[in-house]
Amino acid sequence: MEASSREIRATGLSRTFKGGIDAVRGIDLSVNEGEVFGFLGPNGAGKSTTVRMLCTLLPPTSGEATVAGATIVSEAADVRRRIGVALQEIGLDPVQTGRELLELQCGLYGITGAEGRKRTDELLELVGLTEAADRRTKTYSGGMKRRLDLASALVHRPSVLFLDEPTTGLDPASRLTVWEEVRAINAGGTTVFLTTQYLEEADELCNRLAIIDAGTIVAGGTPEKLKGEIGNDVVSVALDGADAAETERAIGALPGLERVVAEGERLHLYVEDGASSIAEIVRKLDAAKTQVGAISVARPSLDDVFLEATGRRLEGARPEESAEQEEAA
Amino acid sequence: MTEVLLLGRRAVREVIRYPEATIPTLFIPLFFLAVNIGQVSETFPDTTPFLNGQGYAAFQLPVSLMFAVATATTGLALVTEIDNGYFDKLLVAPIKRTSIIIGRLGADLVRGIAASFVVVLAGLAFGVHIEAGIIGAIVLILLAAAFGVAYAGFGILVALKTRNVQATNTSFLLFFPLLFLTPNFVPFDRLTPVMETLARLNPVSYVIVGLRSLIIDGWVAKDLLIAIAVIAAMSVVLIGLSLRAIKTYDRN
Repeated sequence: MEASSREIRATGLSRTFKGGIDAVRGIDLSVNEGEVFGFLGPNGAGKSTTVRMLCTLLPPTSGEATVAGATIVSEAADVRRRIGVALQEIGLDPVQTGRELLELQCGLYGITGAEGRKRTDELLELVGLTEAADRRTKTYSGGMKRRLDLASALVHRPSVLFLDEPTTGLDPASRLTVWEEVRAINAGGTTVFLTTQYLEEADELCNRLAIIDAGTIVAGGTPEKLKGEIGNDVVSVALDGADAAETERAIGALPGLERVVAEGERLHLYVEDGASSIAEIVRKLDAAKTQVGAISVARPSLDDVFLEATGRRLEGARPEESAEQEEAA
Repeated sequence: MTEVLLLGRRAVREVIRYPEATIPTLFIPLFFLAVNIGQVSETFPDTTPFLNGQGYAAFQLPVSLMFAVATATTGLALVTEIDNGYFDKLLVAPIKRTSIIIGRLGADLVRGIAASFVVVLAGLAFGVHIEAGIIGAIVLILLAAAFGVAYAGFGILVALKTRNVQATNTSFLLFFPLLFLTPNFVPFDRLTPVMETLARLNPVSYVIVGLRSLIIDGWVAKDLLIAIAVIAAMSVVLIGLSLRAIKTYDRN
């Protein structure tokens, strides 16, 4: 048995698919007992492949990992007994009712008879599906299906719960419900390994996270630490046709400037103090007669962390949105 | 064992709740029975030597039974489950992977018995008399259902190997040559030499001959034992391969 304080530990975990596609390239991971660990990355980054390896559904090409104290290859049966899994594809049998599906799931984990029925009732209550329990799952909405899938991963009170993109495709209200459930499950002592492509979700739910891109972990730590590493504030300058290099030269040496990242029609300046920097930037641009568009300031977001690590934005997350989220927060 | 029963019960529930998946599979055998009898019963009256005093329906009944039980239903149900992700949920549960297949085959046995019962009843309505009696009729139904279970192994194998709904669906077409390169219309000795050679090489022929012997001739140990042996061999090969396929699914 591994020390219980590390619920997941992976070393050099890799997976190459037929045709030589390297989906995951030698990643190292360490997840502590009781934390919500986020695995953030765009589509195709290798998140699901990593989850499938950690859940024993897919053997790694190389490297090794232990989950809940058992190694994923040689002790796969022990891993399966200790983990709960809700994969990206919602795994429900449309012919069964929600109650039947949960009772069957209980049975597969050795919880049968009255005990199985009791656990089923508890879980239906937990995910708010008591009223819909005797309807076939094919009549459920997307959010209800996701919640039932989540409940089915919990029948045996797993010590580690894997959630692969638990809110992808859900409306905002359902997303909030799932977040609340994840928090409640975690508060009960379950370690949660969650993959997501939503920055906001990683920021809201995760104690620590790793950012994965093209099968490689490019950054890791607590959301605060990651954001802190790239500066206190980020000033965004809309170029409106101005040349990026010329604008950067015009701004020149700014007090507290940590780095500059050009992204399309915008220039992002990571500075110590955004508010006082804006005045200085405007003055310098004016002196250089460089015309630019709007200038805004925001706290760095995880999207900025992703941009810093990979040189591009996380798919689907616009910089304006993340800035607004930061301001709202 | 509990998991096999639980998964079997679920599969049976699926059969009951999806009658639209089972009823069409009964239409074809009943249609063939009616059409074939209608077309050739004048050609083969009950005085025909190989009919042993019965109508042509008695000769055709085993062919209809084979059509009723040999379906791609289980393979399709499995591939659908692979597609919608429920299969992964089962694979990640702490159960023997083979119980997923065995549970489904249990449901095939139940469906096969029900379908064969309906076809035998239709046969009786067409005036068929089962020479081996009531016990013979039960053996007839059970053997046909057992053949259906063995054949389901093929659909499961295709589902696991291709993970493709269309491929699994069209795998059923393979059954047509297997069923028609047999003494399905006339006995072996009435076939042309080429067809007779092909029919004698086709194991399905011996299942038809065995089932037919119960209807037309009574208890003919040799025909029956050969049919049982063929069904057993098919089960070992097709179910064995599908069990191996699920054990090695995504394991390399």
